[in-house]
Parts: sequence; structure tokens; C-alpha cells
Amino acid sequence: MNPRRVAVTGLGVICALGHNVTDVWSALRDGRPGIAPIHSVDLSQLRFGNGAQVCDYDPGKHFEASRTDLLDRFAQFALIAAREAVRESGISLAAELREKTAVVTGSSMGGQSSQDAGFVELYQRDQGRVHPLTIPRTMTNAAASQIAMEFGTTGPAYTFSTACSSANHAIGHAFWMVREGKAELAIAGGSEAPFSFGMLKAWEAMRVIAPDTCRPFSKNRRGMILGEGGAMLVLEPLDSAKARGATVHAEIVGFGMSSDAHHITHPSVEGPVLAMRAAWRDAGISPQQIGYINTHGTGTPTNDLIETRAIREVFGPHADRLAVSSTKSLHGHALGAAGALEAVSTILALREGWIPPTANFLDPDPECDLDVVPNHARAAQIEYALSNAFAFGGLNAVLTFRAH
Amino acid sequence: MADLFTEKVLSAVASVKHLPREQIAADSALQELGFDSLDTTVLLFELEKQFQISIPDEAVRSVRTVGDVVTGVARIIAGASRDPETSAGEP
Repeated sequence: MNPRRVAVTGLGVICALGHNVTDVWSALRDGRPGIAPIHSVDLSQLRFGNGAQVCDYDPGKHFEASRTDLLDRFAQFALIAAREAVRESGISLAAELREKTAVVTGSSMGGQSSQDAGFVELYQRDQGRVHPLTIPRTMTNAAASQIAMEFGTTGPAYTFSTACSSANHAIGHAFWMVREGKAELAIAGGSEAPFSFGMLKAWEAMRVIAPDTCRPFSKNRRGMILGEGGAMLVLEPLDSAKARGATVHAEIVGFGMSSDAHHITHPSVEGPVLAMRAAWRDAGISPQQIGYINTHGTGTPTNDLIETRAIREVFGPHADRLAVSSTKSLHGHALGAAGALEAVSTILALREGWIPPTANFLDPDPECDLDVVPNHARAAQIEYALSNAFAFGGLNAVLTFRAH
Repeated sequence: MADLFTEKVLSAVASVKHLPREQIAADSALQELGFDSLDTTVLLFELEKQFQISIPDEAVRSVRTVGDVVTGVARIIAGASRDPETSAGEP
């Protein structure tokens, strides 16, 4: 059997740029960053002050109180994004289809904010007990389980936790399942909510957070800006999508993975090179057909330098004809949700014919000398695009999208 | 007590990489002692704790030798209140 083509027929997102696809696209298109002073903790005890948090968020608008008790913020974001994606896809989840629907989610930290709060009771307030819902709220697979329960889908459901590549691993595997006929529908993406005091202090200690903002590929970039949110895609065979008259936002056509096998935090050039090559080979295309890369682009001095070198190695002279941008400059680095936010950004870029910019860009860095689409979105009809994710731990996952 | 201070810094350097204290000298290059950026981050964390100071993030990339660390920490201790670089915690 020939592999099936895989259509993206539903998109859902909530992040610092907005609570739905329309608002998020508007901010991406305008190059309007969602980066602002962090409002969830006492900033006097933190060395950095800015983050990309979801604003004006009231869980009560989305969930019954009894449901919220069971949902850490990361699972709430996953559900909100999944609801939008499924609703917008127009899919009717009949019993037979529900059995063949996969749910694959990514999250790096899961519900550790709930765990953090629970352990304050234990260690600081000496209560000698932890809330009984701490485990079901904390487990990283909670988002996948909650989505499956929400829609009654009984097919394969599981979670990838590969730090900043989690969502790309999730979407990539869901894509493969649909392509190979192991699932007739998939809900896939990622979510993260890392703005608890304990986690912010852990990131502070890593010394990778910018004191000002995220300026990927700029000469004076000073690090990443943490983000939060969730994004989900609905995937189905292109033929099924056409048969039911669904809107196809884009196709996923390739997925590639690799491991640096090098260092637990310092990236290599070779690992990303292998993953990008695997991603276009899996799509059965040549690198010259690719027009845009949504980069990992964290804004740390090291990542952006290494990623530039990796892109040059993979693409050779074609690297100078590529547009590359980092939407982390807009929605922040949402860790296990990053790949999902960037998948949505890339799909919308292909669909709308506009490349979202690398925002907050100042002076160019001669060592990051690609066309990074600085500060302003650019009109461009792109056929093929990559979306890169290179995690701590050296675990790389790259998706290939095609305009439809 | 400059010597005692230097001794404390050198001991911290040794401790982070589980090296014998005798192997560490002021002119030792951190890289030659096997330090990568993550090890340097851990070293700065230990020094902040020991001396109750705040070291700016950029130090991870700017320190090259053990002597750089000694001088940098001494400068922060001497001028913590005057040096805007160390007034971390503001947005």
C-alpha cells in the first residue's frame, strides 16, 4: 500500500499571543511579541523579569470547577487547543472513528507547577501531607488522557517528553501513524505551563534566560524568554479530508529525528544536520524545494550560532535563498509546547502566504548570516517548510510541511 | 585574608569537577580542567551560595581561568552595592 498523504484539517492554539488561531495569527503577522513582565510570581526574588505568559486567562470560562480541580494549567491549555482544533476541523467523531483516533501530546515539565505547590505544603508549611490530586495533575500524560476523555477517543494515546522537542516528536509520530494507516485521525501537539516559582528559579540557575527580551540571531542576543501555552493539530488522510469536504490548512509530508549523543545541554551541529536531512528525505523532496524554516531559534548565543551552521551544512548555497525566522521571539519558548506553537505558525505561514518575522531584532550577527526575516512579516508563497526543534539532551525532531 | 579567600575559590573549583585540590592553580584554564559551560554554571552557583553574592549570567562566558574567577568574585564582594551588573533581580 502506498503511504497516504496526511492533511492538517484542524488547528487550535492558546499562548501569549492570544487564545485562538485568529488572534495568534494576527500577532504573528504583525510581529507583535507577547513578552511582558511575569505576573505569576514575586519578581523581587527572580533575576529575570520577562516572560511570554497567557494573559486574561480564566479557567472558569473553559471548565467546570470540578473539572479544573483535576487539570493542571498545562492540561487546561492542551484541552483548550484540542477543542478549537477539533471544532474547526468540522470532524464528526462517530463511534467507529473514535476507535481509530490517536492522541499524541508533548510536554517537558507536565504539571510540575501542581507538584511545586503540593511540595510547598510538605516542605515549607510542614503539613506532612500532599493533596491527593497531585499525581493525576502532575503526570505528563495527563493532557493526552484528558483529551481522549473529552472526545471519547479510544485509539492509541501517549505522550512524548523530550524537553523542547516534545511537541515535534508528538506531531511527527501522529503523522507517521496516519500516513501508515495505523490511525484514521490524530489529535497531536503539545502544551506547557512552566511559570511556577520553583521552575522559574531552576531556569534562572541555568543562566540562559534573557534579562530583556528574546532576540534570535541578533548580535546582542542574551538568551531565551520562557513561554507557555498549548497547540494542537487534527491530522487525517488527505483523501478522507477531501471526501468530507474539509478545509485543508496544509499537509505534513516528512518527519526526521536524531540524537546528538554529545552533551546534556550543549548542542552539536551534527545532530540538527541529521534531523533536517531525515525530515526532507522522509518527505521525498530535495532541500532545494524548501523555502522557509521555522527555526528552533531560542535566542541563546549558542543555539542560534549552531543552528545557523547546521542549516548552512544541510543546504549549502541554497541556505542563502531560504527565509528562516524564529517565532519564539513572539510567543516565547514554550518548551514542550514549542514545536506545536511553531507547527501552527508554519502552517499559517504556508496557508496565508506570509512569513512571520524574527521580532526584537537589532544588529545582525555575522556568524548568524541567514535571511532571518527581521521584525516584519514578509509576503511569500512557499511550497515546503521545515520546523526545527532541538532539545536539551541533544534530541532533535524536524517536521516538513507542504502548502495545500 | 586574600589567601584564605583564594583557597576557598580554588576548593570550590576542585569540588565541582571532583578534582584533587592540588591540581588547581590560579592560572589554570577552566577548559583544561575539563569545565564546560554547564560546569561553569554550577561553579558560579556554588560561589554565590558560599559568598552570598550574585554573579551576572555573562560571567559563564567571560571567565577563562581560575584567576578570572577569583578576581571576579573579589570584585563583586568588594563592590556589590556599587556595581550595577550585580544588581540582579530587576526586570
